[in-house]
Amino acid sequence: MLVQVSRDLQQQLVLLHVSAEQPAMQFPEIWLRDNCRCPKCYMKQTRSRLPHGWNYLDPTVRLQEISWCAEQQTLQIEWSDDHQSSYPISWLQERDFSQANRARYLRAYYRPEQRHWSGQQYELIRREFQYQELLESDEALLQWLHHLAVYGLALVKQAPLEEDVLRKLCNRVGFMRRTTYGDEWSVRAQPGASNYAYLAAPLPLHTDMPYFEYKPGVTLLHTLQQSDSPGGWNLLTDAFHVADLLRQRYPSSFHVLSQTPVDWADIGSDKELSFHNIWRAPVINLDANGRYVRINHSIPQRDSHFSVPADQVRPWYEAMAVFIRLANEQACTFKTAPGDVLTFDNLRMVHGRTGYDDTDHNVRHILGAFVDWDIAYSRWRVLKNALGHYK
Amino acid sequence: MILARNLKSALSQLTLSGLCRRLSARIVDEANIEVQLAQVATSAALTYPGVWLRDNCRCPACFHSNSQSRQLNWQDFDATVRPLSLHMDTEKEQLRVCWSDGHESTYELDWLQRRSFNAKTQRDYLNDFYRPPAIHWSGREFEQIAQRFDYEQVMSEDAAVQHWLQALAVYGVALLHSAPLDEGVVRHLAERVGFIRRTTYGEEFIVQAKPGAQNYAYLSLPLPLHTDLPYYEYKPSVNILHCVVQTKSHGGSNLLVDAFHIADRLRRDHPLDFERLTQTIVDWNDIGGENGCEFHNIWRAPVICLDAAGEYTRINHSVPQRDSHFNVPLDQVLPWYESYARFVKLAHMDAHSFKTQPGDVLTFNNLRLLHGRTGYDDTEHNSRYIVGAYLDWDIIYSRLRVLKKRLAGSNSSNFPGSCSGSSAAA
Repeated sequence: MLVQVSRDLQQQLVLLHVSAEQPAMQFPEIWLRDNCRCPKCYMKQTRSRLPHGWNYLDPTVRLQEISWCAEQQTLQIEWSDDHQSSYPISWLQERDFSQANRARYLRAYYRPEQRHWSGQQYELIRREFQYQELLESDEALLQWLHHLAVYGLALVKQAPLEEDVLRKLCNRVGFMRRTTYGDEWSVRAQPGASNYAYLAAPLPLHTDMPYFEYKPGVTLLHTLQQSDSPGGWNLLTDAFHVADLLRQRYPSSFHVLSQTPVDWADIGSDKELSFHNIWRAPVINLDANGRYVRINHSIPQRDSHFSVPADQVRPWYEAMAVFIRLANEQACTFKTAPGDVLTFDNLRMVHGRTGYDDTDHNVRHILGAFVDWDIAYSRWRVLKNALGHYK
Repeated sequence: MILARNLKSALSQLTLSGLCRRLSARIVDEANIEVQLAQVATSAALTYPGVWLRDNCRCPACFHSNSQSRQLNWQDFDATVRPLSLHMDTEKEQLRVCWSDGHESTYELDWLQRRSFNAKTQRDYLNDFYRPPAIHWSGREFEQIAQRFDYEQVMSEDAAVQHWLQALAVYGVALLHSAPLDEGVVRHLAERVGFIRRTTYGEEFIVQAKPGAQNYAYLSLPLPLHTDLPYYEYKPSVNILHCVVQTKSHGGSNLLVDAFHIADRLRRDHPLDFERLTQTIVDWNDIGGENGCEFHNIWRAPVICLDAAGEYTRINHSVPQRDSHFNVPLDQVLPWYESYARFVKLAHMDAHSFKTQPGDVLTFNNLRLLHGRTGYDDTEHNSRYIVGAYLDWDIIYSRLRVLKKRLAGSNSSNFPGSCSGSSAAA
């Protein structure tokens, strides 16, 4: 490769021209110095920057000499602090600061772009994965995690009716996320249950555990036995799509639901552990760029304490009524069969079920577990790399 | 015990019993209800939004008492619901409301009072019960703010657990001493609170010098100030570090800094640096493997993270775990480096240094404090050995609330957010 090197002295940039057709790659000098690859600055075995120099880093360090080594295909730099650095071209290309390259990297490595969908589009985004394939094939595992990340919902079929299915699936990703309800839980109608989900009554749309700051990322529900009664249907809505609709059609409701902090709570105990969980956050949570990061919604787990000024209360209720109406309108419905594992993004989807009736011979029984997105995305990146999807 | 007394006195201000008063209620603005709870002139009437009262009806059709949760059918919920008539039962201290949707509700007055929309009541509830406010400190103040607890006492007395967790919440650091020198200590301690937070490095981790380690902390080199696992969206909240063997060499000292204090100083003295460090998104990462499981963690977030109200929620800092990928526009790069260099320098100069002894357990808030250690030399007969684990704030605050309710003793039914009887039902 023929590379021409130049500098932008005013902005303190290094420019690399690889071909006449493409714009030059650009790198700030200070960033190059910080990311020197020599053994004094970078430790290969830990793949990390050596930190000693950083206690008194001199941000005025300047580039003295720069050259291109055609033989080694490296950029060579001498610095004002008497240091010398060398950067391989492939390493630099991967880290070019152009807008297009940064966007490419983030989509490919950080997190794929999410696609929101309406209830009507459910059949189009619906995708099934075979349990055994997920255990055996890394490619299938990657496709499942990718689909889950992009659409927030994926159905796993043909799992055995055994108690260790969720453990095996979670271990394929990484490990289960433990909560105050333990690693795994069992959803079966229990008269007198201390959690509302453990009743046979209809369970309206909700997200799991909004009362945690660190809310579990992915919910996995394994159907061991389904109800023969007409009920027990799953309801699922992409609440990011509902937020899109609110933003377009009811901007003031959108504003209220993204600004008003709500007290979410869970008071009770499970086995030995008593808990009183509270987290205060809006229904629609936005990041600094206005992108959705999380939906909180649960009628049973919303506290009777509502720690906002009284004049914000009624507008919030009116906005919430619109949100719930839209969420119900946009719900897709289906009934899982024994052996199905329903997996969905719990930061994004609201889920529920219709009421059902158990009999002596037919007791609906679902096992549940969580995996966190930190762990799921890590696995997704490792698999993409191992399977050559980055090449 | 001072804390418990303060809580009790705060509670006694809330209790209704023993006071002579005229109780009354009226509908205001057609939609809301104003309740006069005391005849004392200074006691203002409390106004409750009608729609909130209807939503929080306590009858068995609307509220499931076993699970302590709302069960009214929101499919049919009318957000424009209005109160039609009120009845104040002064004997039972209950308010009865007839609603425009045909429903009737009854509310205990002390339940209402604890949920007052009065700004001070709400603030007190949040500070006493939701999360205590943090008090920031400089390195020089460390000896004044660092509280020390006896390990056996924490293991055997609930009050000691409460005081330990309260100190941790307020100051971000607390020390335990006289723990046995066995590897089970961090687990026992974590299970006194709830359970260990697992990460890609497992549940407990051992910090000892391992030549060829894949993580920088597992070397005997100096470990500059940092937070653990900034590359997680759900970063572990609290570090528990149990010193089993300390090095006899000169090094191995702990360094601690309250980075919220550093952020305060930047905000005050260097507002431009503060703004850059709160706005510029940095790529934090960790690539490696542990026990045969490969990982590639990335989380993008500023060094100083703020919530919508401008309060600090989290500090991210680690020179080794900052990615060489830096996904910001070119013109933000040099300014960010200048501001970050100032942050690191201020933190380094403010660091408090001390050396834990075998049997000490250091606990600190990993969302707030920076920690590090000086380099050291192992010998054949003396190799530094620290066992660590994490706890999450969700679990710690839950435990703190449960203990506050329990230790408020006979007043527990009056404690904010209390729910006597829910455990029995579970």
